[in-house]
Amino acid sequence: MNRRGLLSAALAAIAGVAIGLRARKRRTHFLRPPTADGAAFEARCIRCFRCAEVCPPKAIRLDGSLALTIDLPYIEAAERGCTLCMKCTEACPTGALTPTAPDSRIVHQSIKMGVPILARDRCISWRGAGVCRLCYYVCPYPDTAVALVGPQQAPLFDPAQCVGCGLCEEACPSIARAIRILPRRAVVG
Amino acid sequence: MQPADLKFSKARAYQLARRAVLFSSLSLAVLTPLWRLGNIERESAGVAAQGTRVVIADRLPDVASPMLGAPWTVRVFGIEFMDPLAAIGLAVAGGFPLGAWLGVLLPLVLVAALGRFFCGWLCPYLPLLALSNSVRALLARLGLALPDVRLPKRAGFMLLAVVLISAAVGGTQLGALLYPPSLLGRELFRYIFYGTCGTGALLILAVFLFDTFVARAGFCRSLCPGGALFRILGGASPITVKRVAPDCTACTACDVVCNLGQKPMTDQIDSGCDRCGKCISVCPTGALHFGIETTAKSTSFALRKGMR
Repeated sequence: MNRRGLLSAALAAIAGVAIGLRARKRRTHFLRPPTADGAAFEARCIRCFRCAEVCPPKAIRLDGSLALTIDLPYIEAAERGCTLCMKCTEACPTGALTPTAPDSRIVHQSIKMGVPILARDRCISWRGAGVCRLCYYVCPYPDTAVALVGPQQAPLFDPAQCVGCGLCEEACPSIARAIRILPRRAVVG
Repeated sequence: MQPADLKFSKARAYQLARRAVLFSSLSLAVLTPLWRLGNIERESAGVAAQGTRVVIADRLPDVASPMLGAPWTVRVFGIEFMDPLAAIGLAVAGGFPLGAWLGVLLPLVLVAALGRFFCGWLCPYLPLLALSNSVRALLARLGLALPDVRLPKRAGFMLLAVVLISAAVGGTQLGALLYPPSLLGRELFRYIFYGTCGTGALLILAVFLFDTFVARAGFCRSLCPGGALFRILGGASPITVKRVAPDCTACTACDVVCNLGQKPMTDQIDSGCDRCGKCISVCPTGALHFGIETTAKSTSFALRKGMR
């Protein structure tokens, strides 16, 4: 290899390491599809669209930002929550998602997508403006992940029991928008 | 002489076969998303019919799917196929299981035997490249000669190295953003599913503008990381374009028609040849044909030949 070749190789190596390390350092604010495990997911996703292709509620979208995260899949729970069908995990060809049986007990144990954050000052029930309970009705794990308390039957979430599917965020009425599902990684690191 | 002035008079069956293969691959790339969209909409309808919005999938109607995904990584009747660029990116990132290589084997064997033929026979970017060449020809006819910058061949290998190194340090699979087949397959899916284009469309546009206004097929020739990988893997391919010197009139038609900067007229064919056979088809005297080259003796020689 001549000197110019060596120089190009060194340049490519430096650029590769720089881009790779930059991608590793990133902390995501996106809710990823079920079983996506933070950094390992982002390192292994080849953005093939197959998870979005099989998603029955079309909850999975692809990142459109101008960053290294371009086209990585995420869930915009405010518009569409995950119905926990686990088809995306089965469709993934790279192991970025781990195949998981669509069994409600297994899902409850192994899926930890995000944690619910409730703004009580916006919640209809907590404000005492009425009885809503929509989040409770759509929750796949009622009385476990969310309980109703008090005379207004206000929701009380248990982040440890919640899988983070985001159906409650989707269901929360537009006048309230009191629930946000944050990616677990963004909350607990 | 412009590429657009040349007529394909020879080896018509070869060009017909190539176009048929390309057309079927493009049709699949468009029809699969349409069909898949129909599938999930039927599934959602099934869910709605059950009268509940919250469903855990053992209650979902399962729609059998003989096909899943775009050519970048496709499952056909339960068998996974993967583009070698994706597979190697995953392998260097660690944990690509040995069994998964089975689906990469077929493309690898084909590339080893036929060189970078994917680029000339299957790449979904080819129609856009043809359009780019037409724009170039049109502007040339209007008297606006566009530049044809010859980037060094190593640019593509450097880009491939960046892709693999950034994957190896556990960062990201950059190949998905720099490889037109991946970009195009995904954008087609996205457009059909959501009716929108993503950042990928901008990247494709950038490639198109580069090929049109900076260098003819410049991305394919000297930047595409997939093309660079196929050059290395297909370096030992024995198939090459041969010339019958006494029949050659040195008319330069073959050199002009080649998108990838090969020079069949002076027997200068390297691993950059995509076996599209256009040089053979335009040769007015039929002096060119595919032949077997037997100089590649060892793998290391082949690798070096691929890098050249």
